[in-house]
Amino acid sequence: MIPEFSIIFAALALGIVLAALLEKRFSYYIGIAATAIVLVVVLLIVAYEYVFGASVMAQTYAYIPQFGVHVSFIATPISTVLLTMTAVVLFAAALSSGKNGTSKGATVLMLLFGLAAIGLFSSSNLILFFIFWDVGVVATFFMISYMGSANRRSAALKFLVYSLGASAALLLGIILIYFGTPVHSFNIAYIISHGSLMPIGVQESIFVLLFVAFMIKMPIFPLHSWMADAYTESSTQGSMLISGVLSKFGAYGMLLLFLMMPIAAKYSTYILALAAISAFYAVLVAINQSDMKRLISYISMLDMSIILVGIASITVIGREGSIYGMLAHGLGIALLFLVAGSIEGMFGSRSIKFIRGVVEGSASAAYSFMLGIFSLTGVPLTVGFIADLLIFIGAFSAFGLYGLIPLGAILLAGGLLYLIVSRSIVNGRNGAEAPYLPTASQKAGYAVLLLFIFAFGMLPFILLKIIGS
Amino acid sequence: MLAPNSDLMLVYAAFAVLAMFVASGLAAALHRRKNVAFLIGLPLLVIDTALFLSVFAGGSSTTLLGIFGMYPFSTLFAALFMASGTLIYLISYRYSNDFTGFSALFGFMLVGVIGVAASTSLVTTVVGIELVALSTVFMIILDGKSRVEPAVKLFILGAIAISVLLFAVAMVFSYNPSLLLSGFTAPGLTTGSYILTLAIILFVAGFSFEASLFPFNLWVPDVYQGAPTNITAMLAGMNKKVAFVAIMTTFFVLLSKYSATFSPIFELLAILTMFFGNIMAFVQKDVKRLFAYSSISQAGYILIGIAVADSFGIEASIVQIAAHMFMIIGAFSIVLWLESRGLRSIDDYSGLGYRSKFAGISLSIFMLSMAGVPPLLGFTGKLLLFSSAVDKGMLILAGLGILNSFMSIYYYGKVIGSMYSKKGVGSGKLFANGYIIAAVAVCLAVVVLFGLYPGPIIHAASEASLSLFGM
Repeated sequence: MIPEFSIIFAALALGIVLAALLEKRFSYYIGIAATAIVLVVVLLIVAYEYVFGASVMAQTYAYIPQFGVHVSFIATPISTVLLTMTAVVLFAAALSSGKNGTSKGATVLMLLFGLAAIGLFSSSNLILFFIFWDVGVVATFFMISYMGSANRRSAALKFLVYSLGASAALLLGIILIYFGTPVHSFNIAYIISHGSLMPIGVQESIFVLLFVAFMIKMPIFPLHSWMADAYTESSTQGSMLISGVLSKFGAYGMLLLFLMMPIAAKYSTYILALAAISAFYAVLVAINQSDMKRLISYISMLDMSIILVGIASITVIGREGSIYGMLAHGLGIALLFLVAGSIEGMFGSRSIKFIRGVVEGSASAAYSFMLGIFSLTGVPLTVGFIADLLIFIGAFSAFGLYGLIPLGAILLAGGLLYLIVSRSIVNGRNGAEAPYLPTASQKAGYAVLLLFIFAFGMLPFILLKIIGS
Repeated sequence: MLAPNSDLMLVYAAFAVLAMFVASGLAAALHRRKNVAFLIGLPLLVIDTALFLSVFAGGSSTTLLGIFGMYPFSTLFAALFMASGTLIYLISYRYSNDFTGFSALFGFMLVGVIGVAASTSLVTTVVGIELVALSTVFMIILDGKSRVEPAVKLFILGAIAISVLLFAVAMVFSYNPSLLLSGFTAPGLTTGSYILTLAIILFVAGFSFEASLFPFNLWVPDVYQGAPTNITAMLAGMNKKVAFVAIMTTFFVLLSKYSATFSPIFELLAILTMFFGNIMAFVQKDVKRLFAYSSISQAGYILIGIAVADSFGIEASIVQIAAHMFMIIGAFSIVLWLESRGLRSIDDYSGLGYRSKFAGISLSIFMLSMAGVPPLLGFTGKLLLFSSAVDKGMLILAGLGILNSFMSIYYYGKVIGSMYSKKGVGSGKLFANGYIIAAVAVCLAVVVLFGLYPGPIIHAASEASLSLFGM
């Protein structure tokens, strides 16, 4: 058997070491090479699981033998989708940063973050999950405070405080799970199959703790206030990774939580209400934003709320929809942040008031932006359509017509984004100058993301077969 | 259990090397030969660390002279203290104003430390603690006239602590006329009696001065800030841990059958100490003071394991003691070096990450480890501590511990954020000297490697903890 995970981790670790040791001019190529290897291997995993319908596993060594914790990785159906998303976004981020825009520190942090994300999505026990979670948080913290824009220091600290607040709740929850399971265990598969044996009281405390932790990370109203600052103050690549991949830490955890704790079913109606409030809140706040990146941040929050609707429906189809939604959101939001970065470079400002007629300066940026919006709002042929379709079928079957309420938020967002497109992207220039144009590397980044957005949108059966197995 | 001869030889060798270190320190102090003292002393300390480690690895138990018990618990701590002593010695060479005097006193101090770790009787414990405290006072004074104030503070507190301890010993002694720690029967001393409660409170109070537990820790920030930084590193990295070892041997060997009485006291102290350290650390502007308060909160975490009062809890405490030892010595090494370049406050540290990559990265790693971020050793310690508390059903204690470790993120994050802000970048690069780099590299290696692969250190701690309960 090919050691898939060893190759991935070796490529990333080697990339980190080489980028730290070699000169700055190699950083860009090291980043591309390492992430390309990851992408190829992950696609191989997808192919393998599609053909054979079995999970790819890797078990290496005992980590804390006293607790029965092993360093072992598994590409379950859920994690395969997330690994695909992570690999694509990582590769696009590495590719689009450009030779001049890449520093040693940026490459090291990006690869470290990638390592954490891949480790987290494929970890087979909760201790590894927690470790990679915190490594991802720390890498993100440095990504913001090392490379971000003007207000990055406060944004980074705010992010850190929120995230580690989430980890504190998560850690306590994990310890409770360990001592709550009949045979003390951190193993995720074991907990999923034996979670219902825990006493109800313990399940409830675990559920509350973990729900809060994952809510912060997704983020869901009212624990979202770190999000807009962190997304906005990061560099372009930082925003792509944080919004595209880091937010899935929370969503993936949430999905696992609903699988691990059967008690979640008791609260599903309330969670649907929370998700709906969160969705409408995000859209209403987004309408007020004049900063391009802040606006996209709130659109991202909207989509995460929709994913929560799918998870809360506790139906198979809703769950599959939310998994697909994570893929769609990751690819789409990364594309939007990448284009927003290019547009900021073109106009020297992120303010929507100053951005006029992007299409005249760069047709590729303008159309990529529009296609990204199509995917996020669920237009057919894009990956977002499949996700929204499945999520709302699931929500309808679980909650009836109430389950469709969050659709209203998507419609509102569609209207808002249409206005922005018509005002800033496709209309005439009116004297506003765009001295810089997107570089070839940025356009390559658009292409990669768009390729996968349409590939998984037009050929949904590939991943759906894996998810269904 | 009688030790095989080869192990006994190792024990003798370890003590002989320690004696050689004391003698060489004294000789150096008389002849004022700084370089000779360092060149002889450092290898001796390294050898002694290795010897105690191999005694620990041998795993056998034996008693020397009736007062030194060499069993896994004591040999593990002897090795840990020797290792941290080596690091302190290494960083002191360049920055101590009177290194020869320091060497001589350091020898005595190490004898006291080993005495406490290997103690089998209350006398050894008390004398060991006193030896450690007095040597420290003189080390601080030797550094210069400006140091008299912290030295006097430390001296007076040490005197109070020792008198309180002796009072406690006297109370227990009247019920069980033997000073040995093990074999304590005292049929007259029943759980719930006033004498017992008073004795326990006095023991706790006496040790709390040294271990910097709330409310006996108000001296800590002043002394930590006033003392030369290499001594501060020693205070945080060794002296405080010695007090914890004394707490463990006294309460889990001598008073082990009264754990229902002292466990709630330690639980309360753990909570108060954690909160006190963390809340005070929030408002600090001086880095040395910040680490002083953060080490108070770390003392609170260590106390969680003692409050849990079973072998799992002690195992967790031992891991956390080892972790904090290396984290704080590494952090103070950097603070020591930067202080000599005039950087003291958090504002002075702005842009440090760009001025010295070494300082930025290593200080960040130490602080993240103190905050309990995986995969560093500080996380392993906290995971075990909180798990032990949950396992014992002390959910509130575990919850508050986790809340505190989350609170600490804020002030560590503030320092890290300051180090990576662009403000002070123009002030030129900083380059560390070899002694600091070597000490920090060792600490980093321990924190990162054992963080990535904690199996061995947990195994060692569990062996030590079991042997303590088997006494």
